[in-house]
Amino acid sequence: MTNRVWLASYPKSGNTWFRILIHCLDLEPGDTLDINRLGTPIASARAPFEDATLLDSDIMTRAEIESLRPRIHERPDPDLGHHHNRPATQFVKTHDAYSLTPQGEPLLAGSRGAKGAILIVRDPRDVVSSLAGHKHISRDEAVTFLDNPDAAFGVSSGGLPSHLHQQLGRWSDHVAGWLNQRDIAVHLVRFEDLQRDTAHILRDAMAFAGRTVTREQVKRAVQMADFGALQAKEARTGFRETASKATVFFRRGQAGAWRDELTLRQTRDIELAHGPMMATIGYDLTFSPPPPHRKFGQS
Amino acid sequence: MQYFRIAGLTVGSDLPLPQMTAMTTSASSPDIHIRRGPVPETLPHPGASGPTWEIAGDQFLLRVPGVARFLLQAGREVLFEPYDRGQPSDMALFATGTVFGILLHQREQAVLHASAVNVGGRAVLFCGRSGAGKSTMAAALGAAGYSLLNDDISVIGRDGEGIPVTHSDGRQLKLWQEAADALGLTDCLGETVRDGISKHYVTPRSSIGETLPIGAVYMLGEAQPSRQSGIARLNIADAAHAIIANAYRPFLVAAMNQKPLYLQSAMAISKNAGVFLLTRQKDFARISEIVGGLEGHWREHGLLA
Repeated sequence: MTNRVWLASYPKSGNTWFRILIHCLDLEPGDTLDINRLGTPIASARAPFEDATLLDSDIMTRAEIESLRPRIHERPDPDLGHHHNRPATQFVKTHDAYSLTPQGEPLLAGSRGAKGAILIVRDPRDVVSSLAGHKHISRDEAVTFLDNPDAAFGVSSGGLPSHLHQQLGRWSDHVAGWLNQRDIAVHLVRFEDLQRDTAHILRDAMAFAGRTVTREQVKRAVQMADFGALQAKEARTGFRETASKATVFFRRGQAGAWRDELTLRQTRDIELAHGPMMATIGYDLTFSPPPPHRKFGQS
Repeated sequence: MQYFRIAGLTVGSDLPLPQMTAMTTSASSPDIHIRRGPVPETLPHPGASGPTWEIAGDQFLLRVPGVARFLLQAGREVLFEPYDRGQPSDMALFATGTVFGILLHQREQAVLHASAVNVGGRAVLFCGRSGAGKSTMAAALGAAGYSLLNDDISVIGRDGEGIPVTHSDGRQLKLWQEAADALGLTDCLGETVRDGISKHYVTPRSSIGETLPIGAVYMLGEAQPSRQSGIARLNIADAAHAIIANAYRPFLVAAMNQKPLYLQSAMAISKNAGVFLLTRQKDFARISEIVGGLEGHWREHGLLA
């Protein structure tokens, strides 16, 4: 059985911060955090796909690549050794929507691909500004992106991106897809909760992943991965994951910043498009409440 | 059957290879045969396997979804059997790329994921993974007058005195539409390499069957806030590491126990030419600056007068 756990999220939802927290759990007292050596693999990375298949992904269609992705993700974990006498959990980041390949298999190989997923969700009104900075687009365009069924990452108009195509779809559908799939267990982490009570939320998520951590480890990780410290590190050494068009990766990191960043119209458009799922996750709506009796993903 | 000269080897092929320049003469006993034939879906008792491939003894099976299965036998023969809707042009694309690269691994020849151009009679190689900018560098240098030798695959051979050499293939460069437009090469674009892929064949093609001593090998790196642009020579240990990492298929170097072969190539290249890290911004607007930097480097190292 695989010991992999997906760190799944829509982009700009705190996945990288969470990866840094997990990375910091393994640092010893006195170690310094190098944000450019996080070591969490990413499911959509192009190089491991090419290494495993021996094929040039740049001359393959999206359908051909996706038909092979379950074969990549179902491979046994590399030998990670043991952690406190238990097999180490392998955390792998993914922004992919939970979807099926053209052959009808789960893209991420279902229960053969991972034993569970930690799904990180952030208020889509806050995702808007972060995404606008990341993609160097306007907030209006970011609002449209969040509601676009064809939205994807790993798509470039100039040359070959370092990641394979990652279908995202609409924000609501992305969240619903992960919550509604029945292949693997899901543990939901709200970005806002992680920010409010980092230690507690991190400890619960690690317990879900089968990873035992001490109070001291968690305390140290929370201190090292403090948002202000990460901003200072990025300013000093740069961050390799900062998008080429973006100025900074660790931008503001505040919950509720949308209140002074979005126009009323942008806020309303997001809430109109995603109100039901926002309510499900527990985000207060400023405009009319969502229509009743809607389940996950019915939009 | 058509005959080609690829990586210093004579190839006879039943499969048309439109992106390669055919030889005008036939060869009585080519080094490699490419022919259509029955290819199994799996091999009995494979010693190693991956999602698309299996190795059993001197047989190597590669499955390219939607295109064809290829069976490579002892580095001498390639059998291909198309899948249902497999197009001959797609088969040719994979046959001259990954299949040929694996064949060179099977023949125990050091082969790098690199493009190469001719600088004053010596081969200058640019190594990197898919998307690193190998073909863009070769195209930009081609436009500056340095003719193309190889695209994507460069075999490392030795001449009679042990000097590392590479061979030109008569191969067409493949370039993204955006790269061609930015480099002012829109007029040189031919057909797309496959339906639905915005990568095109580019003219002019490289020469056929030239053997040139290697003048320099550059590892392509991208400048980042923490990594400044520039050219730095790698010491032998780092050069060896970089050469192995930039083998055409690094996984096969390990699977086929070929590390010593690449170490020797790395040492020979370091001694006779030099292995360098070329760190630059991947920005088409800076390309002439990068070409200028390279020319300066070649003058310092005697590749250019």
